[in-house]
Parts: sequence; structure tokens; C-alpha cells
Amino acid sequence: MIQIMNWLSMAIGLIPLNRQQFHSNFLVDYVMMVLVPCLYLAAYFGINLLQRFGLAFLDACNSVCRLSNNLFMHLGAFLYVTIFILSLYRRKQFFVDFETHLAEIDVVIQKCRQVAELDKSRVKAVKHSVAYHFTWLFVFGIFIFALYYDASALYGTFGEYAIIPFMVSSFPYLAGSIIQGEFIYHVSVISNRFEQINTLFEKINQETRRRHAPLTVFDIESEGKKQERKSAMMATKSAFGIEQKLADEMKRQKPPQLDDEDELNTSDEEDEDIFDYNDINTENTESTSETNLPDLFKLHDKILSLSVLTNGEFGPQCVPYMAACFVVSIFGIFLETKVNFIVGGKSRVLDYMTYLYVIWSFTTMVVAYIVLRLCCNANNHSKQSAMIVHEIMQKKPAFMLSNDLFYNKMKSFTLQFLHWEGYFQFNGIGLFALDYTFIFSTVSAATSYLIVLLQFDMTSILRSEGLMT
Amino acid sequence: MSQPTPLVQPLLLQFQQLFFLSKMVGVLPQNLDKFRYKNVLEKSRNGMLYMLGVLSIYVVLYNLLIYSFGEEDRTLKASQSTLTFVIGLFLTYIGLIMMATDQLTALFNQGQLGELYERIRVVDERLYREECLLDNSCIAKRIRIMLIMTFIFEISILVATYINLVDYTQWLSLLWIVSAVPTFVNTLDKIWFAVSLYALKERFEAINATLEDLVMEHEKYKAWLTGDDATTATVGNRTADSQQSSPPPQYDSNLEYLYKELGGIDTGSLRNSGGKNHNKVAPIAHSMNSFGETIPTPHKPQRMNTNPLINMAHESELNDAAKVEIKLNNLCQVHDEICEIGKAMNGLWSYPILSLMAYGFLIFTAQLYFLYCATQSQSIPSLFRSAKNPFITVIVLVYTSGKCIYLIYLSWKTSLASKRTGISLHKCGVVADDNLLYEIVNHLSLKLLNHSVDFSACGFFTLDMETLYGVSGGITSYLIILIQFNLAAQQAKDAIQSFNSFNDTAGFVGAATEMDNNSSTLYDMITTTMMTPTY
Repeated sequence: MIQIMNWLSMAIGLIPLNRQQFHSNFLVDYVMMVLVPCLYLAAYFGINLLQRFGLAFLDACNSVCRLSNNLFMHLGAFLYVTIFILSLYRRKQFFVDFETHLAEIDVVIQKCRQVAELDKSRVKAVKHSVAYHFTWLFVFGIFIFALYYDASALYGTFGEYAIIPFMVSSFPYLAGSIIQGEFIYHVSVISNRFEQINTLFEKINQETRRRHAPLTVFDIESEGKKQERKSAMMATKSAFGIEQKLADEMKRQKPPQLDDEDELNTSDEEDEDIFDYNDINTENTESTSETNLPDLFKLHDKILSLSVLTNGEFGPQCVPYMAACFVVSIFGIFLETKVNFIVGGKSRVLDYMTYLYVIWSFTTMVVAYIVLRLCCNANNHSKQSAMIVHEIMQKKPAFMLSNDLFYNKMKSFTLQFLHWEGYFQFNGIGLFALDYTFIFSTVSAATSYLIVLLQFDMTSILRSEGLMT
Repeated sequence: MSQPTPLVQPLLLQFQQLFFLSKMVGVLPQNLDKFRYKNVLEKSRNGMLYMLGVLSIYVVLYNLLIYSFGEEDRTLKASQSTLTFVIGLFLTYIGLIMMATDQLTALFNQGQLGELYERIRVVDERLYREECLLDNSCIAKRIRIMLIMTFIFEISILVATYINLVDYTQWLSLLWIVSAVPTFVNTLDKIWFAVSLYALKERFEAINATLEDLVMEHEKYKAWLTGDDATTATVGNRTADSQQSSPPPQYDSNLEYLYKELGGIDTGSLRNSGGKNHNKVAPIAHSMNSFGETIPTPHKPQRMNTNPLINMAHESELNDAAKVEIKLNNLCQVHDEICEIGKAMNGLWSYPILSLMAYGFLIFTAQLYFLYCATQSQSIPSLFRSAKNPFITVIVLVYTSGKCIYLIYLSWKTSLASKRTGISLHKCGVVADDNLLYEIVNHLSLKLLNHSVDFSACGFFTLDMETLYGVSGGITSYLIILIQFNLAAQQAKDAIQSFNSFNDTAGFVGAATEMDNNSSTLYDMITTTMMTPTY
């Protein structure tokens, strides 16, 4: 599905061809990105300067229809030009960067999964849920419907020249939506990585839960010796603080060696004796997925940096899209209630215009909703990591109590996350945060505009156009 | 930039041209000679008197302008477009109010402004001591660009309006030049604010860059160590490969003791170096393989260069916890100080910014509304005659909104840069991965978390992009409302006129005028309610 979208966006010149390879023919890469905008601009200026082929220049088009058509066309031009300039500005550097960062992240995640023995469940990640496929089908369905409706209506009016008015009516909105689709894809990738990290965190959390029990019950039979050692260790901790920490550090820094053993031992067994440097610490670290913690923290940080990068690239493109979506929706409702309700079916061109507004308002709203939803999801997933870490800290696991370093590390992570929260959120160049609060603010703004707009007295205009008696 | 002997160049050195210009126009009262020779802003009584004189001249001239161009507004009043008239009346003095606010605030703050730049200079010195270099030269460039832009905008608006829309046969029409004075004075004042804000942002970014550099250096250092590990430490590798767990750690830990015995005093750094397994392996491999000398030295970053074997070493300050603690502490203190300066600066300019935002909002709305009126060939107030031409209107709108948006954007960016510091600080902690450092970082991070800088206009609203979003929504909705009332008024007037022309009876005329009076009071009420929330 993503592939289809990528092909489509390459085909209409929104992202460069060969975006993954850094060294490729410059000309080939950007040929579509030059051709399509030229075609669009030719169509746009052709219609506006030559005064032909435009819907507004038909005899059947009355003043309401002309106004709405012009608004739709100019809004589309604004949308397309801003989005195109930003895409051109982005070029493929971003895609290359994104992929390399992602590859780095994936390598570390893979390593962490090995340590955490989550390898077996990896297959699950590839399989998508029903909702995912349904959403894709739904989105494709409405887009195909919107394009089909517009194309067929224009073909009926203009015959073989239908491509020219089509370029200025539906095409910009299609292009904008596809760019939003790219944004959705990148955000979903980020969100997915957050989820993977969260499962790893959750694994550690569960392990601490399991391991916590014997420690509190003091299972002397099996662990008496170790407990004793452990308490001795605790007592001598202040005296031998330095060696203790050194030893812990040593142990912690040895994940490569532990990896091999992990594959042999299940996590519940406790015979995996790490060599003890100072002969004090024989406490073992049954399952070692807490060694993942530093890596996970770094990963979290990296993914957040990646989201900053993504947001910096796609956030500015969100602004014109949301604005266009807002305006189209308001005018769609306005035309539907004030014009189509009263004089629907009397003028074919006017009906077409109204339906176009309604269809595209619906389509853009769906895309905007998906964008907001995914951004919100990614935010929530990143927040959840901090929550899980706090949960781990509350359980006072052995590895944390025995080692100040882990405690400080986790504290540092949660504090850093607080900073991140203040610093970053998915947003459109700071104008609005891309989460559900944005829906609320737009809906409230739209309501007030609609109240004002619905007070317009259209009857006299409609009457003068001969649509009403 | 910051290399020469007086440690750092004062920021004000970059402000030369701007200061002369603003001194001349009467934006700042400070002493010219002191500035020229010592680059300080000092109080000056003469400057104050000069500024007051300039201000009163401006006020007189502006009133004269309003009076002389007010003739045309009588017809506006007569032509019954009450809404337009009221808005025009309301906005007549807003430019003057804005200018007076700027100048009076500058008068009151003349002592504090100098202190502010002195504080920035102290911050620069401290930053310089932390080896965090700043380049002030781009500030001078920025000031020049802003001044040129201001001149271009002001002159193009003035000239275009004068040629197109003012009747320049009368000599009194030269007074029109005065109409550009308030915006020009205001812009000069705002350039001071914008550039100082930009300087603060640069300082925040310099701190962030220093922290990031620490991280980068340390990563390089680590990579170098591991790389060294892989290539040269054959012994270590072999042992690690063949006997998986036991021998190498023991070996290491024993040596660790050795280091302790030898290195002795500095426990912090030692523990630190113990924190990195790789740190040890490389030098050990070296020493055991080839020379067997100078075992403990590689751990001290200061002494690294003395070791002939690894004089290509990447140093990393993060290895030395005690030193890093001092450095991080200093950086955080500087950060706090910059935040405080930001707050102080915001306090100094709070009223001018509030008046600028109010001005921007009202003028933007009014200009668009008058543009609409002009396209409907209605008469508009004479002071807003630039709205008669769409192109001049566009320039005016770009100029006004550019001023407001740039300030908002800069405040937002500065605030973000100050928040970024916490993240960079934590990166240092994460990459060094050392207990002591974590404690320092956690402590400082809490401090930073509590100390963030947010810019606001008198506390009415914060200067960030969300405000801009809200304001743009407000402008649109007011505009729609205004246009709708205008439409309704026009329809009513048309209806009355056609009615009057058909029936010339006195009774109907009386009814119509009464109706018109009603509507005018309604408009009054609406305009006042609409304008009040912005103040």
C-alpha cells in the first residue's frame, strides 16, 4: 500500500525518483518534479489568462458558481504551489537522512530484541491488523471516487480538453493529500518504533515483577547464599562503593558476551554466573534484558530526534493543507445548505461545483484526521515509555537497588523526557499542535464562521440569477 | 570575534549604525559620545530633552496632518457610511499612541537598557571562558538588512501613496510625509528588540552547541577506543573470544586496582574511567603487547598527549567528572542568566510590544476592510487612503504583519532554544554513562526545567506561534462580520434611496432617517465591543 502511494507521489512529481540512493542522476530524479508543476502552472495560467476551458467561462455558470469555482481554483493553486515549493526545498536529502537514521535505530532495536529474547515474536510486527487494511481501502476508495466524479463530470462538459480544468480543480488537492500521505507514512514508522521500544520496556517491567517476588519472600532454600552475599554487599557498599560500582559497570558493559548465553538459558533460570570481579558480588542477573535500558534510552532519544526532523520537513506542508481543508469544508457546508438545498438540480454546473466542494471537504477531512490521529498516537507512545520506566522504578527491581547507576539513568531518562515534552510535539510550524485539540479548535472556529456565513441572504442573488422565483 | 584581549567584544559594537539612526530620529535618549567611544548606553539629560522635543514636534505635526486631511472626512460623515467613519476615527491616533508608547518607554528605561547590554557582555565573557565562541558579526549584517528593508517598505509606501493618491498640487500635502513617521520610529525601536532577542537566541544555541560538541567528542573518543580495540588489541580480542567470560574481566579489574593505586587521588575521574570497559582494553593491549609502559596514563585525558603511542587520541572532556561538573554548572548558570536577561528585556519592551500587537491587529483588519470598501467604491477615511490601491495595501500589510510575525517567531524560537538545552544536557549524561555525571545532570536538569523563558506582551498573551494562529482567526472573523455589516448597510441605503426617489413624501423620509439613526447607534455599539477585547 505504501509502495502504491510512493509510486503515485513520484509519478505526480512530489518526491524525487530514486529517493533512497544518494548518488544517482540528478536530471532523472527531478524530471517529474519539474514537468508536473509546469503542466499545472500552464493549465492554471492558461485558464486565467486565455479565459478558456475554465468552468467559470461557461454560459451555464452563474455568479455563485463562478465565485465558488474561482475560490476552489485559487485555493488549490495556493495549496499546490506552497506544497510544491516545500517539497522542492526538501529534495531527497531528507529521505536519505531518514532512512539512515531509521536503519541505525533498527539495528539497535534488533540487538535489544535479541537480548530481550523477543526474536520469536518478530513475525507479528509485519502483519497488519484488519483496521489498517480497511483504512487504506477506505482512503483509496474515497480518492478514486472523488477523482472519478470530477473527471467524468469534466469530461462530460469539455470533452477531450477535460485534463486542463481537471488540473486546476482536483489535482492540487490530490497532490496535497498525497504529501500528507507521505507524512502519515513517516509518522507511522516513527510510531511503530516507539511501540517496539515500549514492548521492550514492558518486557523489562514484567521481568522485574517476576523477579521481585523471590526477593521479598526471601526464598532462603535456593537463594539464601546469594541473599546473604547480597546483604553483605549492601553493607559493604559504602565501604567498597568504588569497587562495587566498577564491578557493576563491568558486568553491565558485557552484553555481547551475555547474548550468547541468553540463547541457551531461559530467563527463569539463574545459573548464569557472571564472573565476579571483586568476589563480593555473586548476585546474578537471571534475564538480562535490563542491560537494554541504556540502549533503549538512547533509542528513544534518537527516535524523538527523528520525529523532530520529520516534523520540520512535513509540518510546514501541513499548514496550507489544513487551511485549505478548513476553507473547503466551510464553503462546502455553506453551498450545500444555502444553495443546493434551495435550488438543487436546476443548474448542472452549480450542482457539480457544490458536490465537488462536499466531496473534497470530506476527503481532505479524512486525511487530516488520519494525520492528527497518527501524530497523537506517536506522542502517546513516546509518553508511555516514560510511564513504563517510572513503573519499573516504583517496583524497585534488584538491578536498580544494587546499582545507583541504573537508578540515575532511569531518572535521567524521565527528566529528559520532560524536557522533550516541553520542546517537541508534532506541530505545524508552531501554529497549532497536531493532536485532537486541533480538531476542537477548528470545529469551534468553523462553527462561528458558519453562523456568520449562514446569515448571508442568498435569496436575492439566487433570484437575480433566475434560479428562484 | 571573541578572541581579542578585552576577552569579548561588547554586543553593542554591532549596533553602531542603528544607534546613530535611532538617536537622530529620537528613539533612544542615551549619550552619543559615550556610545561612540566606550560602547555603553548611558543616561543623558540632553538626549532626554532632545527626545521630548522630537516627540512633541511629531505630535504637533501629526495633528496638523490629521487636521489638514480631515477635510475630506466631512464628506465621509455626510455620506452616511457610519461604520467606516467610526473605525477611521478610532484608528486615527493609534499610530501616534504606538509611537508615544515606544518613545516614553525608552525614556523611562534609559538606565536599564545599558545595564541589560552590560549583563549580556558579562554572559559573553563567561561563555568565552567556557570555550563557547559566539560570532556577533552576523548581528551587524542582520541590523543592516532590517534597516534596508524598513527603508524600502517605508519609502515605497510613502512614495506610491503620495504620487497616486495625494493631491500634490498643494504644498500642504507635503505633510503626508509625517504619516510615515510613527511606523518608522516604531520599527527602529522593534529592531532593537528583535536584534537583542536574536542575540539571546544565539547565546542559547551556543550553549546547546557546546553541549552537543561534548557529546560528539565523546562519541568520537569512544569510537576511536573501540576501533583501536578491534584493530590493535589482538591479545585482548583473543582472550575475549576464546574464554568468553572470566579471564578478561578479572584482568581488567585487577588492573583497575592498579590504576587506583597509581592514579590515587582523583576518585571521580577514576571511577569514571572505570565506567568504560573499552577505555581500559586499548591501552592495556598496547602496553602489554609492545612496550609495557605507562599503563595508567591513558586514562587521564589531560595527559593523553604525553603518551607517544596514542597522541592521535580524541580527547573527551566528559571523562573527567569533576571538570565536567564545573563546566556544566557554569553553563547552566549562564543559561539561567540568559533566561533572566530575556525576562528583563521582555519587561523593558512589554508595553511597546503590546501596543505594536494591538496596532498590527487593528491596522491589518482595518486595511483589509477599507480595501473592501474601496473596491465597492465607497469613501474611506483620508488617513487610510493607501487602501485605495490594492498593491500599496499589500505592501502595507506585508510590512505591518512582517514586523509582528517576525517578533513572534523570534520569541518562539528563542523559547524553544532555551528548552533545547535540557535535552542536550541529558545527551551528555547519556553518552558518558557515568554515575556521577548522571547525578549532576539530573540535578541541573531539574533546575533548567523550572527555569524556562517565555515571552509575553505584558502577560496578556505569550508571544508564540499559537497566538498568531488565534489572532489570524480573529482577524478573519472580524473581517467577515465587518463586511457583512457593510453589505447590510449598503443594501439598506440602496433600498432607502430607491424608496426616496419613488416617493418624495416627507413622512417616509422622516421614517428613513430615523431608521438610519438606529442603525448608526447599532454600528457604534458593535464597533466598540469589537475593539475593546484587543486592548
